[in-house]
Amino acid sequence: MENNQRFSDRPTSLPPPFPGQNRMSVPVSLHSTKLVVRPLPSLPVEIIATILDYVPVSTLMRCARASKKLREMAYDDSRWVNKLVAMGVWNEGEARRRFEDALKKKRIAQAKFADEERRRRAASIGASVEPRKSIGMGDTLFDVNEHEAKANGSAAAVSKLAQDVELMGLSTQSDIQAPVKEKPKLVGVDTSDPTLTVLSDVRSARGFARQEYGRVYAALWPYYIDLVSARNHADPVVFRRYRNPEDQAVMLRQLGVFSESDSSLGWAERSSRLNSMSSIFENAVLREFEGGYEESDYDGRMKRYANVLILLNGGQGAIDLFVAKHYLMFERERLGNPMDCFTNLHSADLSMEPARRFFTLLSEAVNEQSSIIDRIFPPDVDVMIPFLERIGEDVIGEYISPLLEETHDRDIESYLKCITDIYFSVVQFSKSIHPAKGSERNFTDDITKIVVRIFEPHYDTYLQEELDHFRRLCEEEVETWEKKITDEYTATESFYLSNINRQADKIDFLASFKKVILMPVNAIPLPPMKQINLAFPLPLPMNPFMRPKPAVTVAPPSISDAPTDNPYEVTPDVTDSQAVENAAPPTPISDGRVTPQPQTAPTTELAAKAAILNTRMEGIRTLFSIELALDLVHKAKTALERAGCFVRFQGRIGEEAKEQCEQIFICLINILGQRHVKSGFDKAVTHLSQYNPRELSTAEEDEQVIVKPLVQFMELVNVGDLIQQMLDVFYEQELVAHKLTDKNDFLNPAIKEKKRFEQMLDERVAAGLNTGIDVLIKEVDYVFAKTQKPTDYNPGIVGDLGFPTDLGPSEAARKVVSLVASHTKLLVGSTDKNVLDVFNQEVGMRLWSSICKHLKIQRISIDGAIVLISDINHYTQFIVKLRNSGLTQYYNALRELVQIYLIDPQHAKQMAAVIADGTRFKGIFTVEEVYEFVTRRSDWYQIKKDVEKAMYGFGCSVM
Amino acid sequence: MSQIILLSSDNVEMKVDKEVAERSILIKNMLEDVGETPDQAIPIPNVNEGVLRKVIEWCEHHRNDPPPPADEDSDSRKKSTDIEEWDQKFMQVDQEMLFEIILAANYLDIKPLLDVGCKTVANMIKGKSPEEIRKTFNIQNDFTPEEEDQIRRENEWAEE
Repeated sequence: MENNQRFSDRPTSLPPPFPGQNRMSVPVSLHSTKLVVRPLPSLPVEIIATILDYVPVSTLMRCARASKKLREMAYDDSRWVNKLVAMGVWNEGEARRRFEDALKKKRIAQAKFADEERRRRAASIGASVEPRKSIGMGDTLFDVNEHEAKANGSAAAVSKLAQDVELMGLSTQSDIQAPVKEKPKLVGVDTSDPTLTVLSDVRSARGFARQEYGRVYAALWPYYIDLVSARNHADPVVFRRYRNPEDQAVMLRQLGVFSESDSSLGWAERSSRLNSMSSIFENAVLREFEGGYEESDYDGRMKRYANVLILLNGGQGAIDLFVAKHYLMFERERLGNPMDCFTNLHSADLSMEPARRFFTLLSEAVNEQSSIIDRIFPPDVDVMIPFLERIGEDVIGEYISPLLEETHDRDIESYLKCITDIYFSVVQFSKSIHPAKGSERNFTDDITKIVVRIFEPHYDTYLQEELDHFRRLCEEEVETWEKKITDEYTATESFYLSNINRQADKIDFLASFKKVILMPVNAIPLPPMKQINLAFPLPLPMNPFMRPKPAVTVAPPSISDAPTDNPYEVTPDVTDSQAVENAAPPTPISDGRVTPQPQTAPTTELAAKAAILNTRMEGIRTLFSIELALDLVHKAKTALERAGCFVRFQGRIGEEAKEQCEQIFICLINILGQRHVKSGFDKAVTHLSQYNPRELSTAEEDEQVIVKPLVQFMELVNVGDLIQQMLDVFYEQELVAHKLTDKNDFLNPAIKEKKRFEQMLDERVAAGLNTGIDVLIKEVDYVFAKTQKPTDYNPGIVGDLGFPTDLGPSEAARKVVSLVASHTKLLVGSTDKNVLDVFNQEVGMRLWSSICKHLKIQRISIDGAIVLISDINHYTQFIVKLRNSGLTQYYNALRELVQIYLIDPQHAKQMAAVIADGTRFKGIFTVEEVYEFVTRRSDWYQIKKDVEKAMYGFGCSVM
Repeated sequence: MSQIILLSSDNVEMKVDKEVAERSILIKNMLEDVGETPDQAIPIPNVNEGVLRKVIEWCEHHRNDPPPPADEDSDSRKKSTDIEEWDQKFMQVDQEMLFEIILAANYLDIKPLLDVGCKTVANMIKGKSPEEIRKTFNIQNDFTPEEEDQIRRENEWAEE
C-alpha cells in the first residue's frame, strides 16, 4: 500500500490506515481537543459541526450552553450570515462599510485612550499598568474565535459587547451613519408594528449576524411554527393576530422569506405547508379582486386587493388575472373579423380598411385600459407590458394569422402587400399606446419586442415568399420579353442612331432615376388612427414606377416631330399634366382626388426620359431593354421596401431580413445581369463576329459608312453601362442608405455579386470590342479594296498627265476615316476612359497596318504621291485627334515614309540613302520594309538598277 | 462481478462485491491506484467486524445510488433532506454503534452514510437539554453556572 499521500490530507483525528497503528489514537486526538472524557466513542469536531447544521435553532442554542467548544461552533458568525443570505437580507457592501467605519472609530478611540494614558503616566509614573487588558480586547474585536477564546470572564465579554455594538453603529443613536436602507413602501400597513418590518430592518454587520437573525427569529418563528402545524387556514395565530389583509399579506411574505433560512431537518415539509397556506390566502384575495373586477370597482376593492397581492408576492397573480379577464381576450370579434378584409369571397382583393378599423378600436380599448391600470395598480408595478403581451399574442396574433394565411393561399402578391400593411398598422398602433404610470422607462423597447413577437410566426414565410415571388416575377418578365423578341426578330427593320454623344442623355436619365429611387414605393399614407373613423377613402399608394403607358407612346413622336428642340428640355409641367391625366385611371378610388403633384413629377419625368431613351435605343431592342431593366429594378425596390420593414427589428429577425434583402438584390443582379444583359451581349458579339462587309451593301452610297452590328454593339455598351450605373445607384440608395448592407464588408455576398456583374460587363465589353475592332478593320480593308481606284495614286496610268484637279484626300481615305471616326466616337462616355484609350490605340494600330498593307499593293507615281500624302495627312489628322502619342508617332513615320515617292527618279542615290538609313523612321520601319515600299513606285523598274547600285554599289566598289 | 476481500481490525475477512465496496471512496481510489483487483485482503484497520458488517449492509442496499452532486457546499438546505425510511430503520442501533458507524463512514469516505449518521444524531439531540447534549457527545461542562446562564439569557429568543 503505497498511497499514504492520499491520506495525508485527511483529518488528523483519523490516523491513516496503516496496520501498525492503533485506533486508540482517535480518542487521544479528541482528548487533546478536550471533548473526550471516557471510553464511549466520541465524534471529531467537524462531524459535530455537521450535526449542528441539521438541528433546529432552538437546539443549536442549547448546544451552545453545553461547552465552550460547542458554543464557539454554534456562534460562528458565518453560520448566521448564511441564514441572512438565504433570506436575501444580507448586504455584503453594507457589512464592509460598517466594518471600515468601526475600524476608523476604533482607531480614534485608541488614539484618545493612548493620549489619556500618556497623561496619566505623566501624572503618576509608578502607577499600575491596569488598562492594558482592555486595549488588548479591542484589538481582537472582529475575530470571533479569538474573541470567544480570550473573553474568559463573562462580565468582560458583556461590557465588550456593548462596546462593539457602539462601534459597529448598531445602536440607534449612531445609526445616522449607516446608509439609509431602501424600505419597500407598504401601503395600508401598520408600520409601527416592528414585526411587520422585521425583515427590512435587518442590518448587515459582521460579528452580529447571530443577533440580527435572533431578532428575526424571535419575531417570526412562533408564527411560522404555528402556521405550518395548523390544521386549517382559520387556525393560525398569524391570521388571528393580524386582522387586515394588508398586514396578513406582509406577514405571509415575511414568513415565506424566513422559511428560506430554515435548514434543519424537515424544512421541506414545513416550507410546502407554508406555501400551500400562502396560496390559499392568495386565492381568497384573488377572489375578492375578481369580485371587484366584475363590479368594476376599480378604485375600491380592486385597488385594495391588488395592493394586498403586491404586498404578498409582487402581485403577479393579480396582474395575470387582470390581463386574462379583460373583455378583449374573449370578445375579439367585437373589433372586427379578419375575413372582412376580403372584398370578394374568393378573389384576393383586399381592403385594409377593416384591419385599420380593428387597430383603431384596439388602440382605444388599450388606452382606456391603460388609465384603468393607473387607477388600480400602484405606479411601481408594471401591468401594461404583460397586458400588451397578451393583447399582442391573443388579439393581434389571432387576428392577423388567419388573415395572412388566407391571403397567402389566395394570392402571393397581395399577401406580400398585406403583411407590410399590417406591419405598419401594428407599428402605428404601438405608437398610439399611452404608457401607464407603472410602465418602465424602456416601455418603447418592450413594445417593439412585442411587435416582433407578433410577427415572429410569419416573417420566415414572408421573407422566403418575398424572394421567391420577386425571382418568379423577374423571370417571367424576362421570359416574356425574350419570347416577344424572338417573335418579332425577323420582322424588325430597325434604324440606328449614331454619332450622338450618349453621355448627356445618360446623366440626365440617371438623375431622374435617382430622384425616383429616393421616393418610397409603398409610401403608405397612413392617416392618424383617429381619422379613420371619418371613413374617407384612402388613395392607394401611387406607384412611382408605374409608367403611364399612353405617355410613352405619345411622348416620343411629339419630341421627334420637333427635332430642333432639345427633347430633354421638355418643360416638366407639360409632362406632368400629361402624366397626371394618365395616372388618374389606375387609382381605383375615383373620388376626384388627384394624387399630389410632387409625388408624380419625377416619376413621369423618368418615364418620359425612359421613353425617349428607348426610342434612341431602338437599335438594340432585340438585345436587351432598358425598360425591362427599369421594371425589374422597380420590382426589386418594392420587394426591398417591404422586407426592409422587418430589418428594423432587433436580433435574429432583423438579421435575417437583412440577409434576405441582400438576396433580393443578388437575385436582381443575377437576372438582370446573367440572364438579360449577358445574353444580349453574347448575341451582339456573335452578330459582330459573323459580320461580313462583302455581303452587305446597304451603306454603299451613304457617305457615312456604318458597320451595323458594331454600332449595335456600341449602343449595347452604352445601355449596359447605364444599367450598371442604375444598379449602382439602386445599391447605394436602397441598400446602403437604408443600412441593409455593409458597404465596406468585401465578403458580403451582395457586394461580391455586384462586383461580378461589373466584371461580367467589362468582360463582355472587352470581348465585344475585340471582335468589333476585327470587324471594323475588315470593313476598312473592304473600303480600301472597293473604293481605292488604281488611278488615285497613279494618275499617269490613264494617260492623262494633267494635274489632278482635286488635291484633297482620295475618296477611299475619306471614307475610311469617317468610318473609323464614327465608331470611335460612339464609345465616348459609355465606357471607362482606359478602355477607350486601349480601344483607340488598337484601332489606330490596326488601321495603320491596314494602310501599310494597302500601300504595298498600290502603284504610286510621283504625281499620285501628292494624293497619297494628302491621304496620309488625312489619316494622321484623325489620329492626332485621338490624342495618343504612340499612335501619332507611327503615323508621322508613315507620313515621312511616303515622301520617298516624291523623289525624282534621277536622285537614286538619295533614295538609296533614305532606304539605308535605318534610324530615320525611329525604328518603326526597317530597311527591308522601306525598300519594299519603294518597290511600289510606278517607275521602280526604271530606277531599280540605280537605286540598288547606289545602295549596294558602295559595297561593290569595296569589292 | 469481481469480488474483493476486506479485513477488519479484528482480523475477520469479508468478501464483498467490488461495486459495493466502491461506495467507499477510500477503497475506490485505492483500487484505482492498484489498477487490478487484488487477491489479498484489504485491511481496514480502524473498523471492527461488527461495524464493518453494518457498513457493508448499508453499501449493499445503496449500491445503485447515483453519485452525490459535486457542489455540496452550495446550499446547506439541499443536503438537509429527511432521512429515508430504510436508513431510519438501519440507524436504529445503540448510540455506541451509531457513533462507530459515523466514524467508519468518515474514515472510509462514504459521504451519504456519514450524512445519514449526522442527521440521526441531530434528531437525537433535538429538543434536549444542554446536560443531555453533553452526555450524548460525551463532553464536559466547562462553563461556570453564571456563564451558562448568561448564554441562556443571550439566546432567550431561540427558546420555544
